[in-house]
This record gives sequence, C-alpha cells and structure tokens, in this order.
Amino acid sequence: MTTDTLYTEALARIASPGWLADGRRLALDRYLASGLPDTRDEDWRYTSLEQLERQALRIPDAGADTMLAIEDYPGALMAFADNRLIWQDTRLPTRMLGTLEDAEAPVRYGLGTLSEDSALAQLNLALWQEGVCLHAPAVYRPRLPVFLRFAAVQAEVMLHPRVLVVMEPHSDAILVEHYLADGDAPHWQNAVAEIFLKPGAHLTHIRLIEGGEGATHTHLVSVHQGRDSQYRGLTLSLGGRLVRQDIQVTLADEGAEARLDGLFVADGRRHVDHHLRIDHAASHTTSRTTWRGMASGRGRGIFDGRVLVRHGTLQADARQDSRNLLLSPHAEIDAKPQLEIYSDDVKCGHGATVGRLDEDALFYLASRGIDPATARDMLLLGFADQALGLADDAGLRDWLQPRLAAALPVLPKAANTREVRP
Amino acid sequence: MLTIHDLHVSIQGRPILQGIDLAVKPGEVHAIMGPNGSGKSTLAQVLAGRSGYEVTRGEVTYLDHDLLALAPEERARAGLFLAFQYPLEIPGVANVQLLRTALNAVRRARGQEEMDAFDFLEYVKDKLALLEMDDALLYRAVNEGFSGGEKKRNEILQMAVLEPRLAILDETDSGLDIDALRVVAHGVNVLKGADQAIVLVTHYQRLLDHVVPDYVHVLSEGRIVCSGDRDLALELEEKGYAWLNDEAAHTEPHP
Ligand SMILES: Nc1ncnc2c1ncn2[C@@H]1O[C@H](COP(=O)(O)OP(=O)(O)O)[C@@H](O)[C@H]1O
Ligand SMILES: [Mg+2]
Repeated sequence: MTTDTLYTEALARIASPGWLADGRRLALDRYLASGLPDTRDEDWRYTSLEQLERQALRIPDAGADTMLAIEDYPGALMAFADNRLIWQDTRLPTRMLGTLEDAEAPVRYGLGTLSEDSALAQLNLALWQEGVCLHAPAVYRPRLPVFLRFAAVQAEVMLHPRVLVVMEPHSDAILVEHYLADGDAPHWQNAVAEIFLKPGAHLTHIRLIEGGEGATHTHLVSVHQGRDSQYRGLTLSLGGRLVRQDIQVTLADEGAEARLDGLFVADGRRHVDHHLRIDHAASHTTSRTTWRGMASGRGRGIFDGRVLVRHGTLQADARQDSRNLLLSPHAEIDAKPQLEIYSDDVKCGHGATVGRLDEDALFYLASRGIDPATARDMLLLGFADQALGLADDAGLRDWLQPRLAAALPVLPKAANTREVRP
Repeated sequence: MLTIHDLHVSIQGRPILQGIDLAVKPGEVHAIMGPNGSGKSTLAQVLAGRSGYEVTRGEVTYLDHDLLALAPEERARAGLFLAFQYPLEIPGVANVQLLRTALNAVRRARGQEEMDAFDFLEYVKDKLALLEMDDALLYRAVNEGFSGGEKKRNEILQMAVLEPRLAILDETDSGLDIDALRVVAHGVNVLKGADQAIVLVTHYQRLLDHVVPDYVHVLSEGRIVCSGDRDLALELEEKGYAWLNDEAAHTEPHP
C-alpha cells in the first residue's frame, strides 16, 4: 500500500465535527499534491524520510490499552498516550488549557495559518487527533509550568500531535512539551506547534524529545511574534532514531525578541536534523540562537540555521552560534549558520565550531585523580549543561538534568586519550 | 619519596630535558628555578603524566612506584599533585563538582569512605577559609572567568582538598599580587608537614621568602646546572641567570 492510500484511509477513520472535516480534507489534498519531502529538496538534503514509505504505520486503534505509567511533572500536566488524552491536571481551567476541538481559539485564529508551506504540517492538519490549545488571557502570568506529554505506546503507529498556543497581550507562560515512546518499536510522531505571541507576551517553550530506537520524530514549531513579545525556546533532541526539527520564527513587529537554544545528542546510529528560519520582518527586532550538538558512534547531527533580515528594516540584531562536539571518527556534524541580510542597518554575527573533547581538560581532571571515563562524562555533561540556561530561568533544571545525563553518549573505553598531544 | 635519575624527555623528537637528577625526601621543600623555556614545566608535566612527551632515558621512582608506568589519575591517587602554570577552564563543570569527584577518587584509593555532599561542604569550607576564598567560587564553572590570581588560588584550593604527599607548584606565584602571594604561601605552609614534600617551580625569588626552600636547583637548557640552599635563590635574584652559562661547567649538581 502506498503512503498516500494509507493516509487517505487514516483520515476516513477520524471522526470530526463538520467545521474541522473540511479543513482536514483540504489539508490532505495539499499534502497529496506534494507528498513526503525528499532529498532533492534543498531543505531536506541531509534527511531522508524513506523509511516511512516502508513502514505500514496506522493511526492508533481506539480503545486499545494505552495506559502508561506517568511520572511526576513539576507543573500542570496534560498527558496523551497514542493521541488520547489520559490525564489532565485540573489546576488550570479548560478554556485556558484544553483540547483543540473544544477550544475557541482555533476558530478565531485558524488552524494551520502558520504552517501552510510544510507538507508534513499539512499531513498533521489532516490527521491530528485530540490536540492541545493553550490560550493565555491578557496579562495572565501563571507561575505553574504547563507540561504536555505525548507518548507513543502501540507499535507501528503514527501520531500527529498538534498544539496551538495563543498568548494574549502581556501574558507570560512556561510550556514544556515532552515526547517519548514505550520501547523501541517503529512509530512516527509528526508534531506541529503554532504559536501566536501578542504584543508584550512572553513564552518560555521547552521541548524534550526522547524516544527509542524505532522513533521517527518530525516537528514543526512556528512562532509569530507581535510587538515587544519574547519567545524563549529550548529544544532538547535526546532520543529517537531520526529526528527532524523545523523551527520558524517571524519577528513581525518592533521590539520582538527571540532566543532559541538547542541541544542534540546524535549517538549510535541516530540522525538528528535541525532547521531554523528566523525572519526579522520588522525593525528593532532581536534574535539569539545558540545550538549545541554532540555526535558519537555513527550518529549524524545537522544544524542549519538561517536568519533573514528583510529589506527596509532598521537595527535588526541577530546572532547565531553552533557549537559541536564530534566524539567518534564515524560520526558526522554539519553546522551551517547562515545570514541573509537585505538591510544596511543591522548588527549580525554567526559562528560555528566542531571540536573534540579537550585533551588538556581531560588531563587536568586525570591529574586530580579522576578516571578517564568519569572525566569524559564530566566534560560531556558540562558541555550539555550550558544549554540549560532557559531551564534555569524556568526553575526546571532539576527536572531536565537527570534526563540529559542519561542521554549522554557512552564513549568507548580509551577513546580520545593519548593521541593528539601535545 | 621522589627520585629522578638521568631523565631525558623529548617533545616531537626535540630533546627538552637532558639528564635530570633529583631526590626529594619527605618534609623537604625544593625550589626549581631557571629562565623561561629551560624545561621547568616540561619536568612538572612529565611527573604528572601528561601524554605527548617521550621519555627517552632515565627513571622516576615515587614512593616505591615506577612513576612513569602509572596513569595520571593513579599518580594523583598516590598523592602526587601538580598545580598547573596555566590552569584549565572547564565550562559547565562546577568547581564543587570537580573538587568532590576528585577527593572521592583519592579517598577510595586510600581505602577511605566517600564523602557525601553535606560532609564535603563542611570540609571544603575550612579550605576556602584557609585560602580566603569566597564560597560562591564553588558554584562557578572551574576557572571560567576567574582572574589569573583566582585561578592560582583555585589550584591551591584543590591541593588543600586533596592533601597530597608530593605537591609540585608550577609558577603558582606568577600573576599573584603581594597579598594573594601571602595567602597562597600561608596555605602551602599549612599543608606542608613532616610527611609531605613540595617542589616549587618559580623564576622569582619572592615566593621563597614565604615558603622557605631547603634546596634550590637551577634548570637551564634541560639540565640542573647548579644546586644550593636558599642563598642561591638570592644570588640569582641579584645576578640574573646569565652568569650561569659561564659557571655551569664548574659546578657539580648535587641532589
Ligand atoms: N607542548 C609543547 N610542544 C612543543 N614544544 C614545547 C611544548 N611544551 C614545551 N615546549 C618547549 O620545551 C621547552 C621548555 O618549555 P617549558 O618546559 O615550558 O619551559 P619553562 O617552564 O621552563 O618555561 C621550550 O623550548 C618550549 O618551547
Ligand atoms: Mg613553565
């Protein structure tokens, strides 16, 4: 069966109210017109989704046992297992945090308006189930972080989690998306988050991607920022066999600021690809991107960051940094920060480094009695730890750090010692 | 405690140390002086076990160990400590984490129980006080953003925490102002005992006013060309190193 048939049949099995059904069909048609992206597309040069053609993935069976033990989260939790809501914290009213079908925001803002040019997002728009809407009223500033947990439980399912965030003027929130899988069976999570930040709104948005050997994870985050709004995103790609992250930020009005932090671990045979597009569409806008990556084994990591400063804008301020550790001779990292500047009045800079574990630092630690394996772990964790600045600000370091530590690559014994000195 | 016999070391085929002999006994303080580039740091690094140096001749015995056969971490666990001339910055690793991990590695090797975070904090606070260092330094990344003087002090803090048998201090005095020098010297003096030995690498005399050496050796072009007591250091201060080249031929080095 071709994937086209598969997806068409999947849509037929999703019950939807009428106002949504039309949109779904339209989205599917748009998807079918282009199909899955392939490596002839410049933006997909490094990443092939071919394996999705070979896996007969289905939307999950309703009613199958999808209970999965849920650990504690330090905030208000909405938990999904195979796209079904299995737990919702009652501390936040459902009109603020609820499922998409019940929310009012999608009607007002339109689903899909921030993700029209992505085929995968069109497929998501056709096939999403449940979905989440976070709608923060004006000047609302809950200290409680909101956690969305998306777990894949059954084997060979495809899930299309969809999140809509509307931050009304001067609201401020912390949103954490956590993706994970039960075991290593093949499955696909194809997530989309559309985020509207109204004037003066702030959002801290942390995404933690875990998931087993069988996980394909594709994800689009699209952010539209109004005047003086601040988006602070932290993307942690720690698991999954193939991960593709697209992050699009439009700084649409003056004073908008985006900070994008990221960390990926590409170990084993994992393939992790990050594409960022930051559009300085207005004057006096600021973006800061700091991406860290480490690759070991036969892992492959890609950072492709593009900053666009539009013609006619004044005083855009953009900085992109990509810092990477290459931990094995068979691993590969491609770091491509790019600036596309069509204005004379800008402050922009970018840099990329790909290095190895610092031999001098390893010797320094050894000279204090620390064995090589522990020393390497300390340096790796130290490198990764520096990506957690936003988690610090959100009070979530303690939640993230053990997960980070658990995801660090285990290096073969005696690698990186006694070779490049002095 | 430490016996170096006829040590020859090359870097990338180029001879740097060309026959070092040195014997250090417990309780002694030795100063190694000499012009820049004479091989002082090379000697210190070779003793600590850094790779990339080829030992082409000679042997080093430390407390019945064949020192050169030990990995760097084994040397440290056996009580050898090197205060680096250029301490490394390790972003993302908190000072306290390095100190505790190191101390526990050394304690395990000594057959002592590991210290938990709580006991360690008590322990390290005394050491911080000794070196007049602020507690906040514990939670900063190792040496990152530290001033030159803070880095040197931090080296001595590590020494204070690890309580080594043999400490080699590679130009710990350079980059310190007078007050910091006094504090560091005080720290070193407190840590020094009948069982401990100290090798001070320096090319100034001023540290030796505070930590008084039993022996002073002059290293030049990879050889100890002259040894004496602390008066030698004073003499060097006065005359500089230039006269050495003339007299080296006449002076027999002694241990
Ligand atoms: N890693 C190295 N690579 C190449 N040459 C080195 C290295 N380290 C030291 N040297 C050389 O060895 C000699 C001795 O250096 P060093 O031991 O640092 O001297 P000192 O500490 O007495 O100033 C110098 O000529 C120096 O250039
Ligand atoms: Mg030196």
